This record gives sequence, C-alpha cells and structure tokens, in this order.
Amino acid sequence: MSKKMTGLHRRSFLKTTLATGAAVAVPAIIPASALGRNGAVAPSDRIIVGGIGIGNRGTYDLGCFLEQTDVQFAAVADVKEARRTAVKKMVDERYNSQGCAMYRDFRELLDRSDIDAVLIATGPNWHATAATYAARAGKDIYCEKPCTKNIAQSLSLAETIRRTGRIFQAGTQRRNLPHFAFACELARTGRLGKLQKVFAHPAGMQAMMSGWLPAQPDPDPNLVDWDMYLGPAAWRPFNAKLLDGFNFEKGGGLVGGGVLEWGSHCVDLCQWAVGDCPPPVEYNPPQDGRMVATYENGVQLILRETEWIPLGSCPVRFEGETGWVEAGDSGKMVLSSPELLAGRTVEEIGGYPATFHVRDFLDCVKSRSQPKGNAHAAAMAHIACHSANIALHLNRKVTLDLTKYEFVGDDEANRLRSEALREPWRL
Amino acid sequence: MNGYRRSYIRCIRSAWMTAGIGAFIVAMIAAGRTSVGQDGATPRERELIAVLRSDSPAADKAITCKWLAIHGSRDAVPDLARLLADEQLASWARIALEAIPGPESDEALRQAIPSLNGRLLVGVINSLGVRRGAGSTAALAARLGDADPDVASSAAAALGKIGTADAAAALKPLLATAPDGVRSAVAEGCVLCAERFLSDGNAADAIALYDQVRGADVHRARILDATRGAILARKQDGIPMLVELLSSEDKGLFQIALVTAREIPGGALDKALAAALPKIDPDRGALVIHAMADRKGTVELSAIIEAAKGGAPPVRRAAAKALGRVGDAAAVPTLLEMAVDADPAIQETARVALAELPDPEIDQALVGRLAASKGPTFLLLIDLIGRRRIAATDALIPVLENRDASIRAAALRALGETVRAKDLNVLIGQVVSPKHADDAAAARLALKTAAVRMPDPDSSATEIARAMKGAPIDVQSELLEILGAMGGSAALDALATAARGSNPQLQDVSTRLLGEWMTADAAPVLLDLVKTAPGEKYQVRAMRGYIRIARQFVIPDADRAAMCRSALAASRQTAERKLVLEVLRRYPTTEMLKIAVDAMDDGELKDEATQAALVIAQKLGAEAPEVRDLLAKARIERVKLEIIKAEYGSGSTYRDVTDIVRRHAGDLPLIVLASANYNKEFGGDPTPGVAKQLKIRYQMQGKAGEAAFGENALIVLPVPK
Repeated sequence: MSKKMTGLHRRSFLKTTLATGAAVAVPAIIPASALGRNGAVAPSDRIIVGGIGIGNRGTYDLGCFLEQTDVQFAAVADVKEARRTAVKKMVDERYNSQGCAMYRDFRELLDRSDIDAVLIATGPNWHATAATYAARAGKDIYCEKPCTKNIAQSLSLAETIRRTGRIFQAGTQRRNLPHFAFACELARTGRLGKLQKVFAHPAGMQAMMSGWLPAQPDPDPNLVDWDMYLGPAAWRPFNAKLLDGFNFEKGGGLVGGGVLEWGSHCVDLCQWAVGDCPPPVEYNPPQDGRMVATYENGVQLILRETEWIPLGSCPVRFEGETGWVEAGDSGKMVLSSPELLAGRTVEEIGGYPATFHVRDFLDCVKSRSQPKGNAHAAAMAHIACHSANIALHLNRKVTLDLTKYEFVGDDEANRLRSEALREPWRL
Repeated sequence: MNGYRRSYIRCIRSAWMTAGIGAFIVAMIAAGRTSVGQDGATPRERELIAVLRSDSPAADKAITCKWLAIHGSRDAVPDLARLLADEQLASWARIALEAIPGPESDEALRQAIPSLNGRLLVGVINSLGVRRGAGSTAALAARLGDADPDVASSAAAALGKIGTADAAAALKPLLATAPDGVRSAVAEGCVLCAERFLSDGNAADAIALYDQVRGADVHRARILDATRGAILARKQDGIPMLVELLSSEDKGLFQIALVTAREIPGGALDKALAAALPKIDPDRGALVIHAMADRKGTVELSAIIEAAKGGAPPVRRAAAKALGRVGDAAAVPTLLEMAVDADPAIQETARVALAELPDPEIDQALVGRLAASKGPTFLLLIDLIGRRRIAATDALIPVLENRDASIRAAALRALGETVRAKDLNVLIGQVVSPKHADDAAAARLALKTAAVRMPDPDSSATEIARAMKGAPIDVQSELLEILGAMGGSAALDALATAARGSNPQLQDVSTRLLGEWMTADAAPVLLDLVKTAPGEKYQVRAMRGYIRIARQFVIPDADRAAMCRSALAASRQTAERKLVLEVLRRYPTTEMLKIAVDAMDDGELKDEATQAALVIAQKLGAEAPEVRDLLAKARIERVKLEIIKAEYGSGSTYRDVTDIVRRHAGDLPLIVLASANYNKEFGGDPTPGVAKQLKIRYQMQGKAGEAAFGENALIVLPVPK
C-alpha cells in the first residue's frame, strides 16, 4: 500500500445536534412589537416576498421561505402558466388563503409597492437582468446561481446593488453551512499556515450552447410566453427543447457551462477562503484534467474533477503551508490534523439545505447588513468562473487586469467579457 | 462556402446543450487560425461576412454574428448594421456591434436610429449606452422627447451610462418636465451621472444632482438612490442627514440610512450614532446597534454596553449580540448579569455573546470567578469554560463530585471541550467506571468530543484501547465507537483486534466501523477479515468495505488494480465480483483491462466482464497496441460498424437520434455516449413518465443487426449471425 493511501487523516467532526433535514433556522431579528400574543409575527412586520421564475430549484427555495414565520409570500411571476398555478397552489395551501397573485411579466410584480423582496429562480439567462430590474424597483433580492452570464454582468449587478442600497444574496447556500464556513475560516485566518492552493470541483470543463433549433409553432403566450422566456437572450424561434431554463444560455452560449454551473458554488467557497479578495489574475487552459488560476498573491485556484476524498458533491480543499482541510456536501470534512478543530464542535449538516442561507438573507433585509453571499462576493466568484471559461474557450492563458477587469493584450478575451442584451432589456 | 465554414455551421445547427461543444469550438478556432495563418484574421472575418451576405438561413447568420463579436472588425460593421432592422437578427447583430471596438460601430448604431422605432430602436439605444461613447450624447438627447416612453427611457438611461456633464445637462431639466412614464428613467440617468461625477472627484456637482433627484417627483426607489448618494458625497457633512433619517417615518429612508451607515469611514459617525441611539424607537435602535457593530474599526463600545444595561428589551438583545462580535473585557460584567436575566431571550443572547467574545483576556477572569460563584452563575461559568474552550481541567475535576447531576453533566461537557491529552484518562475513567450511573451518557459524549481532537490520535487511541481490557462489553462497544470516530493506525489496530475476537457484539460493531473507515489503510485489514472473520455476515461486510475503498478513494492506479485482483480472487459472491467490475470500468487503465479480460474466464461474470473490457478499451482507445493485443486475447474483434437508424422513445413516440449515436460509434460493438443518461444525451425526455427504449438498426461486418436497450443501459451491439 502506498504512502499516499495511508497518509490521509481521519475526518474530525462530531455529530451534529441539529439533525439533517430537521434543521430550522429561526429569525434573529424580530422587533418585540412585531410579535403577536401567540408569538406569530404581526402582518405589518412581515417581509413581503414575491417569486420570479419558480421551477424545480425555485420550488425548493420557496419552501425555505414559506417556513419562515416573518415572511408573507404574496405573488409569483412566471412565463409558464403551469408553474404560476403550481406556485399559487403551494403558497395558498400554506396560508390557507387565495392571496397569492400571479403575473406573466415580472415587471408587474415589481411595480407592487407592498413587495419588499424577491426570490429569483429563473434560469440563469434571466438572473442578472431580473435582479437588476428588481434592484431598480427597490426590492431586496435572493437570486439563484449562476447569477450572471459574463464578467460585465457581474460588475454591473454588484454596482447596481451598491448604488441602490439593496440587499442581495446569491443562492450560494453553502456559505451558511457550518463545515464549509469552518473550512473557509481555517484558510482565511491563517490556521493552515500561509495559504498555497484552493481546489474547486467543476461540473465538467466544457462549454454549453443553446443554439437555434428548428422552429415549432409558437405556444399560446398565456401558457408559455416565449418572448419573455427568451428575455435578454438573442432571438430564436420557439422550440420546446429550449424550455429547459436550467441550461438555457447559461454563460451566454459560447462561454459557460460546467465551470460556471458548479464553480458558482465551489469557486465561490474558494473565494471565501481567500477572503473574498479580487479573483485570480492568471488563468490557464486545462492540462491533465486540471485548470490552474493564480491569485495576485500567488495562491493557486485549481479546478479538478478527480482526486477528491469521497465527501459528497461540491467538494473544496484548501492547502496551507502547515495544514489542509477538505469538505463536501455530506456535511463532513477531513482535516490534516484534529488540532485544527481547536476544541470546536462543528455541526455536521449534510444535503446542502438553503434554509440557513434564506434566514441570513431575511435577517439582513431587516438589519441592512451584508449577507454571506452578498453582491460583491458573488461578483468576485463569478468573474473567476467566467475568466476560467474564457481561458477554456480560447484554449490559452489569459491575464486579468484587476483595475479595469480587462484581459491584458487579448482582444478576443476582452470581447467575451460581455454580450448585448436583446431589446428592450438593459442592465 | 469552404469546409471550415460548412463544418462549423453544421455544428451550430445541431448544437443543443451539447457537452463537448467547447472542444469543438476550440478546434474550429484553431482550424480558422491555421487556414488564415499568414494573413491574420482578415480571411476568417471575410468568411464570416460572406455568410451575412449570403442567402444562408437566419440560424447560420445568427451564430455568425456571435463569431464576429470575437473576430470582427470595422470591415464587418456595415453588414452587421444592415441587420439592425431585422426583427430576428437585430439582437444577434448587436452582440457583435457592441463588442467590436472603434468608432465605426458607434456610428453605425447612431445612423440606424432614424430608421428604427419601437423595440428595435430601444435595442440600438441600449447598445450605445453600453458603449458609453460621448459622441453619442447628442443623438441620445434628441430621443429624450420621443413619443414612445420606452425609447425616451432607454435614451435617459444610456445618457446616464455615458455620465458626462453634457449628458447630465440634457437630463436635468426633464426631471420636472418629462412624462410620468419617463421621469424615473431620467432620474436613473441623473443618479448614474452623479455617481460618475463623484468617482471623478467632482463632489459638488454630484451633490447638486443627487439633491435635484431627491426633490423630484420620481419613483421612490430613485429618491432612495439619490439620498444614499447625497449623504456619501457630503462625507462627514452628510452625517446629520443620515442621523435624521434614522427617525424618518419613511421606512425606506430609514433603511437607506442603515445601509449608508456601513459605508461612511471614520469615527465621527460612530459618535453620532451613539448620541442618537437613546432617542430612537427601540425596535429601530436594535437595528442601529447592528449597524454600529458592523463598523468594527471605529465602533463606540461604551454606548453599546450602556444600551445593554439599560435599554428596552429589543435594544438589550441587540446590544448583547453586538458585544459578542465586537466586545472586550469591559463588557463581561454586564453580559454575566444578562446571562442570568429573567428574560430567556436576553439570557440566551448574552450567553452566546459571552461564548463568542473575541478578547482572550477574559478567559482567566471567568475561571477565577468559578470558586466564589454558586447557583445559576456557577452553572453558567462551567458552561462558558466549555464553550470558550478554556483550559481549566484542575478547576473542573472537583466539580465531577458535585451532588447535582446537571452540574456534573455540565462539567463533563466542559471537559470534553477542553481537556488536554495528559488528562484524557479522567474522561476514560468516567466512561469505564462512572461514579454516578446517570453520568455515563454525558461521559461517553465528552470522551468522544475530546478524543477526536487529540493532537496525537495514535497515542490517545492506544490509551482508550488499553482501557477496554476488562471493561463490560457494552462499555467496550462504546469505546470502539469512539475509536472509529478518531481514526488513525492505533484505532484501526484496535478495531481489527475486536473484529477477529470472539465476542459477537464487538465483532458486529468493529466490522461495521471498518466498513465505513475513511482512509485507505483499512484495506489490508478488511481483506484479511474477508478470509478470517468469524461468520459470513462479517466477511461480506469486510469485502464490501474493501471494494468501497477501491471504488471511492484516492489511491495509485497500481494499488487499485492490485486491490481489484485481490477482491476478485477472495470474493465468494457473484454480486461482489460484479461490483469489482464496476471499479474496473470507473478507472480505465491497461491493467484494469487485463483484469477484465481475465475475468471473462469466469462463467458467471463473462457478459459483465466483456462489457467492462469493451468500455475500458473504448476509453483507452482500441487502436493502442496493448489494448489491441488484450482485445485479441479476449477474442473481441474490431468491427466495421455502421449505424443505419437509431430511435429513442416509447409507444408511438420515438425521436430520431441516429446522428448522435453515429457520432459515438467506433470500431467496437460498444457505443459509449457522452452522458450515461439517455434523456440528457438525446435532448430531453420524449415520453415523460413512461419506460423508454433505444432501438438501433445497424450493419456489423456487412451483416444487418437490430437491438433494443432499456433506458440508460450500456449499449453493446450483438454480432449479427
């Protein structure tokens, strides 16, 4: 048996006191005056939430919102009638009412002055544009990932959130799970020694493309509003195969795909581990199944699909001069030494629930503090993913100038930083 | 049309969420480079322009626009500009026009304005905004009065993006005069201009513009944007405005003040917030305290301590929480009082704060208070010693003699969190021979908590294993569980010993733990147990654990192959040997292929082993000499294969997937798709909720064949007879 086989240390974790699946986050900030006699939050102090594009993932997120006592979910906007009605049914059953309003065009939902915040869980084609319109309408935003299609959108969205004073939480829920948070803290605070490498798992280092498929008869817009579905994506005729919002125009077509899809979680955690600093400056194309990017301070961000300790999906690993930690979606982590725990008990919550992330968002809506997946952090992580994808697409090294967020001496790479939105949409 | 263009257009037409297309595109770029080599990019661009000028379908022209966004120059601009009036292709053309540098694109976009209206005009204006060319100001300003509010609004926003004094000058008058549907976009443009002024160091003009928006009848959100900007642009002079808004009846203005309070640097704001705090409504005061604590560098701690002492309950809770984040030793007396407060919410918040207070100097102060304290405070201090992980074993050990079980349990919890290696025996003793029977569970948990963080796991595991001797079986079982959580070679040895022993309860616990072992060093132990464990149940468990390591763990290829050979040799169950074949397929190497070929001699494995060999050969490349030799040895011949027709679906609904299957067919009777999931590979589920089949008609070695495969099955085509 090789040394490598025996060199791994045992996971160091303790069973959680909070059972997986039974975890419930409780509001941290509820004004005393907001509590009614039975402990329920008074209607006037609830956060009124609307949903935009609630499909599979969105339905899960919606469930996390609905279990919060200080949330009143008031309306849904979706281009698909079947989803609108499904969400209304779910919400009305939860509240035992008929109060959930339905809209085909999310701008009508945003026009409602009573709505404080929105959950955006459309496909990634819409995320940045819908979030920008929501911010412009004065709403706080919980937005599923990947939040942007390119570097320009990442910068624009963060700037819009800053300018409008909105609270923005990217759907990077692992930032609110204890073992990932602890692993990132070890890296960030120097307890692994000087940080050397951070590792992220991409979901395939390939670009994806939605294309232009043969035209099919346009559906009744009341059932599926194709024009609204396309939204900011360049025009193409209706084809039912393109209605898979999860993949449609992810990353904008030529660039995007696995690095962006999974990277917006794993690279995001790596970014947290390096203190949400600006993204790496140098990106190399894949070699031997690895993409290596280098931060300004020399720390390497390594995207690799293999060589992971079996800790579940979305694994990350951080290596310093004196120690390392690896964590995954099982809720477990492995440490180079149990001393890194320093006596702490880290809750083991597997299955990457979003409940805590939603709670963090809602608390920040009230306090106006910055949530863990805030717009700046999300922008830095997404730019790292987009830059890696550009290196992947061009199959050459690219160097990012962090003052202008331009690639040095590479006109082609620079042109891939943005893409025009279809009329009438604008950021 | 040359081969390059034809082939990429074919690709784009068929592209549909295609994994692997990136590699193709890269290849096309490389091909393009090769073809244009000596002339730079121009010939390639000419090829692309030729597509736009041709009668090619719109789909081809669309993707051509995308390529021109990367490779186009001013030479492509006129042909792209012609598409701006095309409802299908305008958005594609603008992708290129927005990206191509130089004045020609701006000029083309501007020249298109008079001939367009509605959404197409809005698109062009938006693109001019993105390009931010100051030369577009006049053309955009001219559209501010457009009868179409969408056109006027987009012009206003575009001017904001340009952000020059001229742009602002065009926008400002319209704050008062623009129609309702346009005014808010004008305000957005003004705020954008003000932001640009501020970043350029022109605070005075920025303030004037922000204030003008604040006074305008525009969307409430724009008032908030401008208010934030107006405060920040005034720097320290903006503090009174911010403080005033903390009492505003407008919730939005209050919230924007809270946001802005995190953005103003320097201690003056902290002092102003401290002074304002007592005068603010308690619910709002709690939120102000959050903002104060977010200003870690300059926070006014004394004001927060005062709020914790004497504020209304929401303020006290917020203050306690804030002190946990930014407090120091000065906060301890107040927090200790709050931690035994009658209000449970205040009590818990203060306890959490005491546990999290970052100042390490308070640790010994807390331990020092222990001897003189009693009642709830005594319990609280024990709890805090544990939560803060203060090394205070000498102070805690006497507490294990306390008559109160809840206090003993708290002391055990604290010891679990804090005990050092030299005192681990205290907890081992509490587990093996507890003085009070009702302490047993707490003692086990404490020992486990402590054991997993010991700096020398092997030494501690040896100590725990030694304690097993002579202990009751139930206690030994508990100690095995703790060893299992610890890991390391000493723990592994102890578990192996128990597994080989004679007690069924200990065999059961230890083999289960070994089967879940998290490092690969358990492999030899498990293989040995496969042969020697007393009873088939434990042998099977050991084999499954052994295969799990081969399947999941990071180990060198040679070691993994050796493990697979050992597993096949030692296994007595066909199901287990099939699991090994899965490992072979998962890690395709020549050695794994050899093992698969050898396994074909096993009558019960022949079919699966053949499939595994084919899959590995396909992944390795069947043309490699060593692979070819092994396939020949296995009598697997390379074949001439032609896919005639492939359909995927059920009942009367079948989708033609011939092209996809053809792409993956080679010279083996096996077809490995890019995705193991047929629905993903074949562009979606043709008949949701119904079992589907993949039907393939083919010619192999000149003979016609036909085969059907269940959903997601491995595709191995039978040799036609």
